Amino acid sequence: MYTVQKLLWDIRRNPMLAQRFHDDPDAVVDDYGITGDERDAMRTLDLGRLYEAGVNPYLLYFCALQLGVPRQEYYERIRGER
Amino acid sequence: MGQIVGVFATAHSPGLTGFPERTDAAQRERVMAAFHDVRQRLVALEPDAVVAVSVEHFTNFSLANLPAFAIGTAPDYLGPVTPEMGEFLNITQRRYPGAAALGEHLYRFAIESEFDPALVSGDLDFDENFCVPLELLDPGGRLPLVPIIVNGVNHPGPTVRRCLAFGRMIRAAVEAQRDSSRVVVLGTGGLSHWVGMREAGRINEAFDRDFLRRMQSDDPTELVAYRQDEIDVAGNGADEIRAWIIAAGAAGTGFDTLAYEPTPAWLTGTAVAAARVGKTD
Repeated sequence: MYTVQKLLWDIRRNPMLAQRFHDDPDAVVDDYGITGDERDAMRTLDLGRLYEAGVNPYLLYFCALQLGVPRQEYYERIRGER
Repeated sequence: MGQIVGVFATAHSPGLTGFPERTDAAQRERVMAAFHDVRQRLVALEPDAVVAVSVEHFTNFSLANLPAFAIGTAPDYLGPVTPEMGEFLNITQRRYPGAAALGEHLYRFAIESEFDPALVSGDLDFDENFCVPLELLDPGGRLPLVPIIVNGVNHPGPTVRRCLAFGRMIRAAVEAQRDSSRVVVLGTGGLSHWVGMREAGRINEAFDRDFLRRMQSDDPTELVAYRQDEIDVAGNGADEIRAWIIAAGAAGTGFDTLAYEPTPAWLTGTAVAAARVGKTD
């Protein structure tokens, strides 16, 4: 879980990483050594699953915003409304 | 010797500066009138420095290094952290002046008082934590600051009892130095809100009003009686009441509530309060 949250924080802090994640999420999650269910949830930016998994909501929310997810859509996605 | 001449506590919701128009006009006017009141009091108090206490929202710290308390000793601070955040908050990016000597004194005094804060002697960027309330209270960005960060963004944060003690230590520290003779303490954050959580937009008005009632008392016994689960009912953002409780410790008196409005469009219970510092009965 630490590595996923580290990636969420790094994406928010580093626009170049955010762009790289946008273009090729598989390469980024592999660079971070994220595996298994976490890898799948992260590479698809499955916000609902990451939220359920217990990542810090601040980190998840800010990372999603950095990746261009509108605020309203973020909340709809973690609520399973879309 | 130095003295604490005023202590205030306010919300720091991005909506206050970024999208004020979304909240009901009457509520907005009452909140802004309270900020204006504090701004005028600040001018009249002529402080040499402001000790500003809040959380920071993973703008600087991360789960690789998350201090329970941190004290800034820098000569200046960047805020808002990015131009994009500046646009969101409707605040021009700038460098805020730091009260470096007072910061260094506070850090040393804290260590000698057996608190163990993190030292941040540079590169502590501001987010809404300080930029939003300062835009309303010191729009010119002139007041020299000592920022103090308390962890209110990832459990467990320091206990509320420890926060009160930390605030009392700030008071003792201010009174043990001569560089800054007139010091104001400003706590920011809260009250009930949920950030990045499914409940976002909800307000726990009962929690907020009960919290303000506890803040009003000169006796902090009830203020430090919160268990974490009693704070959690008001959302992850309610962890920011720690900043208020630190301010209460620094004040040593109760607070008058200048405004309280449940404002879902700003995603918070929005409050402004002033300690009865220097008032004699």
